[in-house]
Amino acid sequence: MADSAVGPFLQGTTGRNTRGLLRLVILCTIAAAAVASRLFSVIRFESIIHEFDPWFNFRATKYLVQHGFYSFWDWFDDRTWHPLGRVTGGTLYPGLMVTSGVIYKVLRLLSMPVDIRNICVLLAPAFSGLTALATYLLTSELSPSPSAGLLAAAFMGITPGYISRSVAGSYDNEAIAIFLLVFTFYLWIKALKLGSAFWGALTALFYFYMVSAWGGYVFITNLIPLHAFVLIAMGRYSPRLYVSYTTWYALGTLASMQIPFVGFLPISTSEHMSPLGVFGLLQIVAFVEFIRQQVPSKQFQTLLQSLIVAIFLASVGILILLTVAGVIAPWSGRFYSLWDTGYAKIHIPIIASVSEHQPTAWPAFFFDLNFLIWLFPAGVYLCFRTLKDEHVFVVIYSILASYFAGVMVRLMLTLTPVVCVAAALALSHILDTYLLIDSPSAEAYLNDGTRADSASSSTVSAPQKKPSSSAASDSLRSTRDPLVGIYSSMSKLSIAGAISTYLLLFVLHCTWVTSNAYSSPSVVLASRLPDGSQHIIDDYREAYQWLRQNTPNDAKIMSWWDYGYQIGGMADRATLVDNNTWNNTHIATVGKAMSSREEVSYPILRQHDVDYVLVVFGGVLGYSGDDINKFLWMVRIAEGVWPDEVKERDFFTARGEYRVDDEATPTMRNSLMYKMSYYNYNSLFPPGQARDRVRNSKLPAEGPRLNTLEEAFTSENWIIRIYKVKDLDNVGRDHASAMSFEKGSKKKESTSKRRAAKALRVE
Amino acid sequence: MRWLFSFLILALVSVVRGVSTKGNRLLVVLEDSSEKDSYSRFWDDLGERGFELSFESPKNDGLSLFQHGERAYDHIILFPAKSKGLGPSLTAQNLLKFLNLDGNILLALSSKAPTPSALTSLLLELDIHLPPERSNLVVDHFNHDVLSASEKHDVVLLPRPDALRQDVRNFFGGDSKDEEVIAFPRGVGHTLGNTSPLLAPVLRAPRTAYAYNPKDEADVVEEPFAVGQQLNLVSTLQARNSARFTVLGAVEMLSNDWFDAKVKRSPGERGAAKGVKALKTSNRAFAKEISAWTFAELGVLKVGRIEHYLTNGGTNSTSREVNPTIYRVKNDVTFSIEISEHQLTHYAPYTPPATDSLQLEVTMLSPFHRLPLTPSTAKSPNSTVFTASFTLPDQHGIFAFRVNYKRPFLTNVDEKRTVTVRHFAHDEWPRSWAITGGWVWIAGVWGTVVGWVVFVGVWMYNAPRGGAPRAKKVQ
Repeated sequence: MADSAVGPFLQGTTGRNTRGLLRLVILCTIAAAAVASRLFSVIRFESIIHEFDPWFNFRATKYLVQHGFYSFWDWFDDRTWHPLGRVTGGTLYPGLMVTSGVIYKVLRLLSMPVDIRNICVLLAPAFSGLTALATYLLTSELSPSPSAGLLAAAFMGITPGYISRSVAGSYDNEAIAIFLLVFTFYLWIKALKLGSAFWGALTALFYFYMVSAWGGYVFITNLIPLHAFVLIAMGRYSPRLYVSYTTWYALGTLASMQIPFVGFLPISTSEHMSPLGVFGLLQIVAFVEFIRQQVPSKQFQTLLQSLIVAIFLASVGILILLTVAGVIAPWSGRFYSLWDTGYAKIHIPIIASVSEHQPTAWPAFFFDLNFLIWLFPAGVYLCFRTLKDEHVFVVIYSILASYFAGVMVRLMLTLTPVVCVAAALALSHILDTYLLIDSPSAEAYLNDGTRADSASSSTVSAPQKKPSSSAASDSLRSTRDPLVGIYSSMSKLSIAGAISTYLLLFVLHCTWVTSNAYSSPSVVLASRLPDGSQHIIDDYREAYQWLRQNTPNDAKIMSWWDYGYQIGGMADRATLVDNNTWNNTHIATVGKAMSSREEVSYPILRQHDVDYVLVVFGGVLGYSGDDINKFLWMVRIAEGVWPDEVKERDFFTARGEYRVDDEATPTMRNSLMYKMSYYNYNSLFPPGQARDRVRNSKLPAEGPRLNTLEEAFTSENWIIRIYKVKDLDNVGRDHASAMSFEKGSKKKESTSKRRAAKALRVE
Repeated sequence: MRWLFSFLILALVSVVRGVSTKGNRLLVVLEDSSEKDSYSRFWDDLGERGFELSFESPKNDGLSLFQHGERAYDHIILFPAKSKGLGPSLTAQNLLKFLNLDGNILLALSSKAPTPSALTSLLLELDIHLPPERSNLVVDHFNHDVLSASEKHDVVLLPRPDALRQDVRNFFGGDSKDEEVIAFPRGVGHTLGNTSPLLAPVLRAPRTAYAYNPKDEADVVEEPFAVGQQLNLVSTLQARNSARFTVLGAVEMLSNDWFDAKVKRSPGERGAAKGVKALKTSNRAFAKEISAWTFAELGVLKVGRIEHYLTNGGTNSTSREVNPTIYRVKNDVTFSIEISEHQLTHYAPYTPPATDSLQLEVTMLSPFHRLPLTPSTAKSPNSTVFTASFTLPDQHGIFAFRVNYKRPFLTNVDEKRTVTVRHFAHDEWPRSWAITGGWVWIAGVWGTVVGWVVFVGVWMYNAPRGGAPRAKKVQ
């Protein structure tokens, strides 16, 4: 950048320092913007943990802070999955909790007693600042132009695809995992470029951190070997690759096995076999390279190459054999559902029932990434033009992540970093081309081919620097004639203007999406009153507080698993199932209890010591995320375990409709869930006028009768309804007749007519 | 709480006087106060056992079973009333609520007075069925008293009842030294439902007895209400909260006259009992037993201390941790429960019948262990300590130590102690060197470490001379 027009302090050492400082300031600003844009929810609501999973992480963090690391490590949680309990210490990724715990302790040490809740709430924004920095570093490795890194950092800082999982209060594994993902990739590329064992070890270290933080580490576990494999297949094997890969694999795998939840998975499951295979392949390739240097015989090399292929095929065969024999676990169901989107719906309804496991709708890409999504292919194309080792990585990453993001909404998160990087590469290329004020001269370029005219061909680097001569003929056509520059200031202006508009629109879009779509805590709902003011609907917390204050400490609450973590976190009561869906049968048991008749459900409730049942009902407010709408999933999951007792077909009318009104099927109307949702609902309306505002249907004139449960609590807007499970009748009647006796109806003596049929009592 | 204090004071003041474990406020509902005198010996017996009797008429509007939501009385005796209803305070709902609040009821019926509808529907709720006709009478042509009912055969004479089953304690068998006889004069029978496990018959009619409607003008009884052993004369129900309810078919059983009347048995089937001497009835003893049982003086089990601890956690009770909330899988645990039985006046050690035993369940969803609890040898003056030692299953979870001992005529014992059974902690596994099979791998690890160090040493101290030019060549 030796532009004379810009001024003296952009030249020489001063210039480098100034630009360095400027870059630092810009990065800090980007990080600050990244943090600031995630604070909507704190400002609008309060400093509160969001949604579902974060409540568990928060609870686990509190346990860690309170009881110390070792008892956290050995934590057996008897407050969830009653009565099975959960070996929590061994079935979670502790990275997030330990990170917050360490921050908490460090702040204590510095005499800054910050509440652990605030640390948890603000951890995700803080880490998103770091993610922006990591993206800068990663992109700077890919492009010599400094603007690419800065643009990538800015994109990463505010793109909604990442914000969706990292607003303040969204205290989930992804909050730190995306930073670790990007940073691990940066270290891997650095290690590969330098062929350094030190950087390889650093990669392994951050890989370990990633393993400890998020199950998505499998993405790294497979992406890096794939990169190595593609490099080998492209004939780009180098000692650098050997050193960096083996260092990473050996150290990283050993380190990852230290996490109890991961344990021996890296050597026993199919998902982890590719790094092992590539590790073995690298050894063979390295050996062959060594031999090739020693023995120059052509035949011998052919022999060796076929040997490589043979060994590779043999090891794949052994792998398949071991899988069939059961030594290596086959692909898990979640993994299959990545290849076949219909798989989960048929075989594992519990995975399909989660909304974030659904295939992505096309608008979501634009919603989450805005104009980056169409700059992304251009960026990938630019990577092809300069196909160095690290660019191969970006290409592979973008292909894989695009596919996965299309399969599952949730994996949009892994796509976002590469989109930001690629888009920044493309955009910086455009800007570097068009933002030069002075026109370049074609003659000078042609005469002096070695002059580094970074403005026009920054990414057209070393190999193409001397293209005009001989090598040009066998490379890509597009690279054959070099770019020279833009001469017309009109086109410069229009492009600069258009890009600025796009950037501004992007910022507007990001702010709008963050503010409207991703900043709702979902624990607290907000609605607008007719006069435009905000009205907070706080039923969840009202109900959980009721549970906390009015039930005994060891009361067991049954609810659908979505609310398990919240009940554990906010109400501090034992639950039957929660969002850690490790035991399908137990969830199916709850599903069965919800979808069966009272006579069937009651023994299940008794067997599991259930004291209270909690349902979410949106009929009053029109809150569509309620249990009746989720009900079919309960039925499906229960049907998966008890196909004879629960049948999904029975919940649909003859015409195949799912209804709750007069035409609802008897199975539907007798199910516990239906009864609990609509119990006493009629009393809100004039007789015969009861309406459900979610399903938008008129309800039967007579509401359901509950015998085995009694209403204990209903929140202000009826969103949460809590029922108490009755004890067995004191004098041995069934609940239905006890209820009718209390109502005053007399039991009929049936002996007069059918005296002969009377059963005799035998002692 | 007042009854508790009075109970305490009474227990301290008069040791000889027996008293119920549930308090001594006894309400007698008697319509006709003139009848009161003919049962004076029964009242005296109750008064001697420490009960405070208050007589009320069902017609009294001020009568209330409850006060401030609590029971106003501990026990009720209901005498047959002439009127069809029993008044607003003695509805079936109120009586059931009284039972649910742990009060005991002794209900006496008579063939002379029709049973009020409130009581019929209450009995129906309890699965006890009365004859549908308003008047009914139990007769036995083979086992009646020839002295008083040679014509009508409606004073049924019965021997003392046997135990309900082999493994059930018999509280009503008398001392069975000589032949005892209970007179059941002019009573109403009832049948029991087949499903309720809470019902237990005390006196069943003889094989030859039957119940019929005396108002029926027919010469032959076409369809008797019930016959033989299916016809129950005295039955009990013990609710899940151990409140007791007794139906006494004939109120006259308790009267002064029948307490020790002289009776003579009819000849019986095929004249089996021909020429039996006239006997005195043992109605008085039976009345005492049935009222003592109903008013929780007999067959009351009290659970004392329940302890569980690690079997090898310490030798004496001070050094070991008692009743921890958390155990580890495969821990050896000892469980002990202290049970005493109330015998009219005092608590005594409880001994189950020889064919029965207390059991401990270690359960999570379903029992993992079901172990007999053995009474410990160490004697205590008024309780037995039952213990069992076992190894916890190799399954973590929330387990319950449960003693579920429900037997007819004995208070329900259902004690549940919840404990958490956790998995092995990270430092509770055997160390690697303690496992002989691991020595190969340990040797391998150290072999590699030492080998590497030696290799580095050899490499560093054997640098080839003039290495620089050769290194260039290699590259």
